[in-house]
Amino acid sequence: MKILVCLKQVSAKESTLRLSEDSLHVRESDLSFEINEPDTFALEEALRLKEQLGGEVVVVSLGPARIQTSIREALAKGADRGIHIETENAESVDRTWAAGLIAAAVREEKFDLVLTGLQSDDLGTGQTGVILAEFLGLPHATIIMEIQIEESRIKAKRELEGGWFEWVEMPLPALLTIQSGLNKPRYASLLGIKKAKSKEMRRVTPVELGAEVSGTNALRLRKIYVPVKSKNTEFLDGTPKEAAAKLVERIRREIVSSPS
Amino acid sequence: MAERERFDTTVLIVGAGPAGLATALRLTQLIHQHNSEIDHGSRQGRKLSTEEICILEKGREIGSHLLSGAVMDPRALRELLPEFDSVEGPESAPIACPVARDEVYYLTERGQWKLPILPPFFHNSGNKIVSLNRLGRWLGEKVEQSGATVFAGFAGRELVYEEGRVTGVLTDDKGVDRAGNHKSNFEPGYHVRARITVLAEGSRGSLAKQLLANTPPSRIPPGRSNPQTYAVGVKELWEIPSGRIEPGTVIHSAGWPLRSDQFGGGWLYAMPEGMISVGLVSGLDYRDPRFDPHTAFQRYKTHPLIRRILEGGKLVKYGAKSIPEGGWYSLPPLSLSGTLLVGDTAGFLNSQRLKGIHLAIKSGMLAAETIYQAMAADDFSDERMSEYALRVENSWIREELWPVRNFHQAMQNGLLRGGVHVALQLLTGGRGLYARYPSRPGNEHMAKLLQEAENIQPPLVPDGKLTFSKTTDVFHSATRHEENQPSHLLIADTNICNTRCTVEYGNPCQNFCPAAVYEMVEGKQRREIHLNPSNCVHCKTCDIMDPYQIITWVPPEGGGGPSYENL
Repeated sequence: MKILVCLKQVSAKESTLRLSEDSLHVRESDLSFEINEPDTFALEEALRLKEQLGGEVVVVSLGPARIQTSIREALAKGADRGIHIETENAESVDRTWAAGLIAAAVREEKFDLVLTGLQSDDLGTGQTGVILAEFLGLPHATIIMEIQIEESRIKAKRELEGGWFEWVEMPLPALLTIQSGLNKPRYASLLGIKKAKSKEMRRVTPVELGAEVSGTNALRLRKIYVPVKSKNTEFLDGTPKEAAAKLVERIRREIVSSPS
Repeated sequence: MAERERFDTTVLIVGAGPAGLATALRLTQLIHQHNSEIDHGSRQGRKLSTEEICILEKGREIGSHLLSGAVMDPRALRELLPEFDSVEGPESAPIACPVARDEVYYLTERGQWKLPILPPFFHNSGNKIVSLNRLGRWLGEKVEQSGATVFAGFAGRELVYEEGRVTGVLTDDKGVDRAGNHKSNFEPGYHVRARITVLAEGSRGSLAKQLLANTPPSRIPPGRSNPQTYAVGVKELWEIPSGRIEPGTVIHSAGWPLRSDQFGGGWLYAMPEGMISVGLVSGLDYRDPRFDPHTAFQRYKTHPLIRRILEGGKLVKYGAKSIPEGGWYSLPPLSLSGTLLVGDTAGFLNSQRLKGIHLAIKSGMLAAETIYQAMAADDFSDERMSEYALRVENSWIREELWPVRNFHQAMQNGLLRGGVHVALQLLTGGRGLYARYPSRPGNEHMAKLLQEAENIQPPLVPDGKLTFSKTTDVFHSATRHEENQPSHLLIADTNICNTRCTVEYGNPCQNFCPAAVYEMVEGKQRREIHLNPSNCVHCKTCDIMDPYQIITWVPPEGGGGPSYENL
């Protein structure tokens, strides 16, 4: 089975976030980077499927030179080769642009299965995977918790709201967006890191990928800002029993019914 | 112990700080030169490969655990990479700015006295303000481009001996739960086997501690028998409205909030774009068990001199690190049965000039030159490796450290008594009253509670604007550990904590730890020690200052720890 995993490098969760001068981004010099968390689960799932069924795992990512550390990390964990789409900026808000570039870079390869994380920890649009499926003409399902391969079909368990799940089935090739927590990602081994140094990393620029993607990147970010925090403290008076009753009433009325 | 997979290499360097990275980089330079001489026929013999060099780094990335003030003397970096401060090229190092002016103050609680004439060792003209984290990341890229391999996220857990000689290390096991059971993604550590192991772990290295504990006293170089003594530096990075202080301004201070019998002092360095490095170094040889280096630093910021600069600004990052202060007479044997000790692990630091990065880099370069000769001759015998110590003796490291060999010992009891000795030492080329001022381990200076009943400082209530609690500061160190793993702080006997120490010292671990790892919590019958290892910023202060010496710091699962961007 030939599997493609889409990785995104995002700022590490503990990073200090300060806005850049133009308020269009956070200051990169403050950040350290890591693989987007749901993508690490997608990679692990791909590696396990390869161990079961044989085949190849290829990782693709787009962004500046620094993202190669994330591709190398995936190679160290066992992916066979990497594709780096070299762009100035990984955080363009236009995910059609990003998905278009990925589609152009991988279309010829005819993957059996494409896995992505369900959304990114930075922008969190949750769009890139499904738009990519559309560009590649593949059936897709989102928020996947479990995968079963049966001959040329795939069964996948989707997470719904409120603890509910559903099983969906579709023919291969297909694209799934993976939810965090469906497996336990492995560590890169010392030997894996050493081997990764000599694994293939194909580099390709948007220009080389051709006309298909020009003219997109139509969405433009105007401004980002830090939300103003507000905090209200209210004391519920009365005896403990009365106060508890008031609290229950308030929770019923205000918290349970408010959109999550 | 389970059978370990073996990973063979020629040169293993533990720690990707300035010393370890300089070792690797200098060695690759020598190997490239060696090979090109063979290509041109000017040298006979076999070619060497930079792939024979491996570096282990316990941080998630190169630089994650690097923290310093830092004002760097560029001398060593210029020797290693002469183009480092050329204008805006790929070869230019990430220097925040050159030092523009020095100010030195003596502080009292409300007052300040500015030294009209600076002692020579406080002149920083020509020196550079840097972030050691960024400098390390930059050096790391060069090392990786040169063909050496850096394994980030791997700690050297244990030395491996074969026939009494170190033949490498065991790396940490990954995927072990709190109770010691293997998780489904368990990945056993490797035996990284090498012909020479360079310990570049930084201050109070955990492998170096194992090594030196196994070293008979007869191996200690004659006359260098002082134990290592330490300080802890607590640092914050701030962003203030620009224009308030000229970038390149370097302020050092002595006195308040430290007592007159304490070693240490504060700093504030101004960088471009309103970035400020501010911190306090406290000698880990203080008397009062209630002393808290983090609280002292918070107090320091409330002094009018510092408050005026920081007020209205914003805390960006936090970190803490121990510093070896003992100097020349505390240097351990530099080459020991299959190992070389470089940088802070050896104790190459000039405590009078408050500088060690240049010595770390230089010592790494000298180690590399020794290793290169061994590789070329295919001879890693102890005798050949001992040439490293000779190289240090004949280098400017000794020239710089020898005249200040007695500085820290003189200052160990604070500025007032120390000042007289330091003046005498300046007049006598470093000798002072005695040829070698002796010293004791810092923890032995700690007095019992009863002896220190006076001078109780009122507690400091953080305002959340200028002063912060330990937990708020730890948040700003971006520290992260896998939660479900065994504690990496080993206490040999917690009964001592819960009984004797409570009475004798009042559990000073709660005070000296700058990351709120140690807590005394109400138990069934008494207050009991409780650890929060996930808070640990890897400063090693507990391992150093614990009065009973029952705390051992070992590396947690690789990749855990702080993330010191721009510190």
